[in-house]
Amino acid sequence: MRKTKLGEFEEFVLLTVASLQRDAYGVEIKRTLEQRMKTKLSVGSIQSALKRMEEKGFLTSEFGEASQIRGGKRKRIYSTTSYAHRVLSEMKEIRAGLWKSIPALSLELKSV
Amino acid sequence: MNAPLHPPKWPVRVLRSVLKKKYLEEIEGDMEEIFFLTAREQSAAAARRAYCIEMLKLLRPILLKNFKTSSIHNPFMMYRNYLIIAWRNLVKKKGYSTINIFGLALGIACCLLIAMYVDYERSFDGYHSNRDRIYRVIHGSKDDKSKSTKSYWVWGNAPIGQALHDNFPEIDKVVQFSGRADILFTLGEKSYQEEGLFFMDSTAFDVFSWKLLRGNPKTALAAPFSVVLTESAAKKYFGDEDPMGKSLKGSDSPGRANAGEYLVTGVMKDVPANSHFRFTILLSMSTFRKSRPDIFTEWGYVDTYTYFLVNDQFDRAKFEAKVPDFLARQFKDPMNKYTIAIEPLKDMYLGTVAERQPGEVGSMANLYIFSVIGVFILAIAIINFMNLSTARSMERGKEVGIRKSIGAERRNLIAQFLGESFIIVSLSMVVAILVATLALPAMNSITGRALSINHFITLLNLAVLFVSTLLIGIVAGSYPAFVLSSFSPATVLKGMSKSGKIGITLRRGLVILQFSLSIALIAGTMIVSFQMNHILNKDMGFDKERMLILDYNYDESVNRQREVLKTEMEARPDIVSVAFSRSVPGGYFPNAYTEIVAADGQKKGMGQPIFQVGVDFINQLGLQLVAGRSYSRDHPTDTIGGLVINEAAARQYGYANPADIVGKKYSQWGREGEVIGVLKDFNFISLHRTIEPLTLPYEPFACRYVLLKVQSANLPGTIEEVHKIWARLAPHRPFLYSFLDSDFNRQYQNDFNFKTLFSLFSSLAILIACLGLLGLATYTTELRTKEIGIRKVLGANISSIVALLSKDFIVLVVVAMIIATPVAWYSMNRWLEGFAYRIDIHFWIFLLAGVAAIAVAALTISFQAIKAARGNPVTSLRSE
Repeated sequence: MRKTKLGEFEEFVLLTVASLQRDAYGVEIKRTLEQRMKTKLSVGSIQSALKRMEEKGFLTSEFGEASQIRGGKRKRIYSTTSYAHRVLSEMKEIRAGLWKSIPALSLELKSV
Repeated sequence: MNAPLHPPKWPVRVLRSVLKKKYLEEIEGDMEEIFFLTAREQSAAAARRAYCIEMLKLLRPILLKNFKTSSIHNPFMMYRNYLIIAWRNLVKKKGYSTINIFGLALGIACCLLIAMYVDYERSFDGYHSNRDRIYRVIHGSKDDKSKSTKSYWVWGNAPIGQALHDNFPEIDKVVQFSGRADILFTLGEKSYQEEGLFFMDSTAFDVFSWKLLRGNPKTALAAPFSVVLTESAAKKYFGDEDPMGKSLKGSDSPGRANAGEYLVTGVMKDVPANSHFRFTILLSMSTFRKSRPDIFTEWGYVDTYTYFLVNDQFDRAKFEAKVPDFLARQFKDPMNKYTIAIEPLKDMYLGTVAERQPGEVGSMANLYIFSVIGVFILAIAIINFMNLSTARSMERGKEVGIRKSIGAERRNLIAQFLGESFIIVSLSMVVAILVATLALPAMNSITGRALSINHFITLLNLAVLFVSTLLIGIVAGSYPAFVLSSFSPATVLKGMSKSGKIGITLRRGLVILQFSLSIALIAGTMIVSFQMNHILNKDMGFDKERMLILDYNYDESVNRQREVLKTEMEARPDIVSVAFSRSVPGGYFPNAYTEIVAADGQKKGMGQPIFQVGVDFINQLGLQLVAGRSYSRDHPTDTIGGLVINEAAARQYGYANPADIVGKKYSQWGREGEVIGVLKDFNFISLHRTIEPLTLPYEPFACRYVLLKVQSANLPGTIEEVHKIWARLAPHRPFLYSFLDSDFNRQYQNDFNFKTLFSLFSSLAILIACLGLLGLATYTTELRTKEIGIRKVLGANISSIVALLSKDFIVLVVVAMIIATPVAWYSMNRWLEGFAYRIDIHFWIFLLAGVAAIAVAALTISFQAIKAARGNPVTSLRSE
């Protein structure tokens, strides 16, 4: 695996974007993550993660529709790139492999 | 809830100003959405609070403007490029760079030297820790008619000191000291005449911050016949021995103290050079007081300086308001004309209005003149810089065009050009500091001041230097920075019309300004030199050539032997004549109160200078009689009652015809008799002043100097012979000689310093202006190389081409002359007002200055013009 420099929080955000599909914009991402992580998140942390990943090529974005509640400002809809998918699945595999090796390891540890 | 709800204003504004433009819409929208949701679910206040907190959390580098605009852009690369370009420009045109840097450096160096001089002059007396609380009394006499006081003296009576101390609680300490005394001190073999020492009150060390190294400051000057030596005087008499408790034999000081043994009660540090009066030795005032107690209560006797230290209650305006009442209480006489004023310490050197100072005074006017010259020189140097930059602006035009088309913004270009000029100015500043340091000894020998770079380097001055470097850099670089950066890349790259119109007008304006300043300085230099020559060559009305003067300081035994001395010396073939006197022209003289029967028949008392003289003095100096007769050995009563006065004195007592005062009764200083003769007015003070009334009573025992008219091819030999006679007849007196003309001209020392400095700085200013002109001429000639080539091919001769190239500049110099004339005329007239005898300013001086400037300019240009004109047209036309 190449060095991807994808942090844990970034990974969560990236996964959220992937799951939300056409609804993946700042507020929605924040809301979903807050529910799942059961914690308050700030706009700043979400935004900086989004921008960073956009620079790294995990995300692309385009303006969506404007709405009354946003004061007439357009949303920015994020979508994951194929590169992001590749990296995410690679990470998932690595994790899965690692998880598989755990039981043996834990038994060994117990027996000591 | 119904009121229109909107997010708090200021956080929105913060977001808009700091966030990257491309993120703003999205983030602001998100924030607003959250804000309204929160407002609906919780409350408006909570939403607002949350908005602020979220805003703060948004301040992250990745979201903010300019923190990282683009990963390719590295500003340091750009700065490196600027530096490289600046360096290449400097090296490519070495001539211009040299002119730029050295011209500017020379200008700044002059400015620095002038600043140091001005700084030094303004530092006088600043070392006293009580400097804001020290004042002195100046004495005056109210005018009969106008009730105002025309002139003041610092030198005045003694009782004023005690009276002030008793009547004004705001005065803490009064310190009085005598006029400058000259006393012969003897210690064993060593014997020196000490000039300019003072009898001073014991409060001296409370008022002034002179540092007493040995002895008790409270009592050092208390007892009669105490002496406080400065370190250098102590060294002179005692070498490395401890002088405390030893004694020095002092001769008498006529009118002040008898001869006696002075006990050394203190040693002080030498008086700093920047003091408005200085001395080597202080004697206790009680010595004077004990010898002449009468004059310390006599309001009419003038021999004291009065300084005082005030306390917190002192208010100058209130004090001055109380003075008339105070004087009325002292003098019950309603006709009293005597009045006093006070001067603070800071005005004593540069701002004094009084005469008869205890020491030297400076001239504020000269400081102003030098400051103006300094500014002129700097202006000329900066103009050079601007001119050369504008002249070369079209070369840089292409660079500007390219930089702009590959994305430089205007402010980058302004920064680049200002930075470049800042670099050049900094280089010049370094060179200037070097030049100034090297020139300092010369400057010191001209001014007689002890300027030192160490004293000048203070944190404040360094800051000033840095700020001036910045300022000069900005002023000098402003034209290229703002004009060049405004060029539109399309026009410049297409081939800009050879020189911008504004550029040419500006350059012409600057050359005119430069030459106006130069011409004003040339004219000023000429006027100053003419005036100084006028002073030196003017007939003073007395003979000052080859007049040897011996100072024996009123020594009684010399005065008793005067006839023997005269006969012995006159026996020598190289000595024409010998006379005695108390005062000589240009030297010290007292004032006397004289009553003479005036033209209206009433006896009238008035004060005027007095020269107590020997019988031959009048003939010796070649003074001419206009009425009556001179003193003569044939009239033995002359010693007791005769009086010769000058024409001005005759006029003072109301006689239009000097012959009428001859035979009138007079009384003066205890003498009575008749006026026997009137002398034609002669300048016994410097030519700064008009001739004042003067009386010359015959008082053989009041004399101090021997005057010898010398007629000799071998002057040193003659002096040696006179010394031998002196050593035989007055072995107890040191042989102190000088020459009348050099003594007299010493009064003009400051004027000569002024002249030298003025000429020096003017020449430098002109030199710098010419450097600039040379650069400019070289440049314009270079531009026209092709034109010259074509003209030559078509048959123009050298002279017509030289004329073509020079014409432009000459016109500018003529315009400059027209501008400079009134300015210089006005300011030099103000300077000349300081002389009672002055030259007229003729118009031809300005014409001459203008012609001189044109000549210098022509010389400068013609070198280039001729070189260009003589060049082979083939070479200039071949290359493209």
